[in-house]
Amino acid sequence: MSVSQISVFVESRPGHMARVLASFERAGINVRGYSASDTGDYGIVRFIVDDPDRALAVLEDMGAAAAKTEVLCALLPDTPGELARIMGIMARCNINVEYSYSLISTFIAMYVDDPAAAERALAGESIALVDQNDLVGFSVCADAEKSERETR
Amino acid sequence: MADMTVKGAALAAAAAGRFDELPIHDPSIECASRERIRAIQLARLIDQVEWTYEQVAWYRRAMDDAGVAPSDIKTLDDVRKLPFTDKSALRDTFPYGMFAVPLDEVVELHASSGTTGKPVVVGYTKDDMDLWADCIMRLVQMAGVVPGDRVQMAFGYGMFTGGFGLHYGLQRLGCMMIPAGSGNTDRQIQMIQDYGSTVLVSTPSYALHICEVGESMGVDWSASTLRVGLFGGEPCTPAMKEEIERRMHIVCTDNYGLTEVMGPGVSGECLAERDMQHIAEDHFLWEVVDPVTGEPVDEGEAGELVLTPLGKRAIPVLRYRTHDLTRVVTERCACGRTTARMQKVRSRCDDMLIIRGTNVFPSQVEDVLSGIDGVTPHYRIVVDNETGLDRMTVYAELRPEAFSDSFEKMDAFRRAIEEKLKSVLLVSSKVKLVEPGGIERSTGKTKHVQDLRTLQ
Repeated sequence: MSVSQISVFVESRPGHMARVLASFERAGINVRGYSASDTGDYGIVRFIVDDPDRALAVLEDMGAAAAKTEVLCALLPDTPGELARIMGIMARCNINVEYSYSLISTFIAMYVDDPAAAERALAGESIALVDQNDLVGFSVCADAEKSERETR
Repeated sequence: MADMTVKGAALAAAAAGRFDELPIHDPSIECASRERIRAIQLARLIDQVEWTYEQVAWYRRAMDDAGVAPSDIKTLDDVRKLPFTDKSALRDTFPYGMFAVPLDEVVELHASSGTTGKPVVVGYTKDDMDLWADCIMRLVQMAGVVPGDRVQMAFGYGMFTGGFGLHYGLQRLGCMMIPAGSGNTDRQIQMIQDYGSTVLVSTPSYALHICEVGESMGVDWSASTLRVGLFGGEPCTPAMKEEIERRMHIVCTDNYGLTEVMGPGVSGECLAERDMQHIAEDHFLWEVVDPVTGEPVDEGEAGELVLTPLGKRAIPVLRYRTHDLTRVVTERCACGRTTARMQKVRSRCDDMLIIRGTNVFPSQVEDVLSGIDGVTPHYRIVVDNETGLDRMTVYAELRPEAFSDSFEKMDAFRRAIEEKLKSVLLVSSKVKLVEPGGIERSTGKTKHVQDLRTLQ
């Protein structure tokens, strides 16, 4: 169980990431999480979106250097110690998390060398992994909005 | 002989190695032994130096200052005793100071574009025009042009040597000239169709433009009468030529020349080795020198091309420094010609950078990048000395397929480019990767280098 991450090569200069995001907006692609890091000269921006294939097509159309990578995506209860717990499991199992970042809510994405091994390690630990479908149509605010309307 | 008027026949014969089926204008010169060529060159050089010394005060003074007399020229190597001529000499003597004949013997004037300062004006006697036509007839036949071809000239005429220079030579060969001039692409395409043009003379980028506009208009180039493209006016990359040949179904060659020594026709490309051009050696004595020291380089090595026209009367320049970088080989060509061949000029010594004492040419950077799959050949070089030492940064454009979601891999790729550059340039540089399309494209003379160095 994994989700697709879209990575894009960008120059470390104003406007380059904005251009990518504008193209997502035009195509109606919903960004569920992202991480931007750079070397000083260039950067890699990583996105988790509701429709990765379309996002990749949009980027290819604009001639950008982009790639699709599978990452694990876990939903953590929003309580202290949960992030420590999952990273502890990975450490005990000697799985190196090369990079990780959080999404909307308390989803976190992690890139590891061997996703299957990591998935097995997390399976017995009551950590919920999500797949691409779980990210479609999901809104953190949905419940809050609903209760707000009911109050009125 | 293959029938050159059949579309594709010239390329097919060349691909099969049947070069004896391709026309050679003047085998007595173009296929002569090296000894015979050198003998012709020496006789003409002695005559040319004597003529120039007698007729042009500027050269008389320059040779006197250098302590060399016409009688000192006894071998071809003796040409090195003569002073060089630079473009400035022609500018300083504007307009007629370098002319060796009275103006009533001059039948035509041309001038270089001259982007800065005064243009360079050159004149031609009737014999000079014959000599020029002879050069043109050689190079157009290398591409399979034959008498009777209908040649659409899409170069601007005017003072530029490319228009009339090719016009006269092609007409002398027996071609029907269609002087369309430059611009108005729709009309150019209409003329090709109405007049059944078989040869197009233009810049390569304009030919590609005609091709594309034609395609969008629904022209089927494979069924067109057009058979040959003769290019000039700007460098033509092999990839661009190949694209035009494939899409327009024609054979394309380009040639080399410069106003100061004559115009187009100094050398031309045959179909055997598409990166090399045969020099009209009986009309031009070539030397290749180190651009810094002016000393000759070893045969086959790259350096600055220096030309001495042999037999040209109206403006007889001696040892003209072209500032064009090339290398010249004298081995017999597969096409049957024995004349020396110069590699297509892709850079000028004006572009040369000296980085921490090492000569670096932008074309070397382009060559390295062209050989690496993950980047495009587009690049930019920035040099600075902020830290006190010369520092060269090469911006290379990443191809989408070379991207990976790993800084480690990307950096290894970047460092591999740095190492390849260093092995060729012999000086280290920093490579920065740029997004696909991130290097500005230009149709004209692309400015690849930015030198930000300041005097310390």
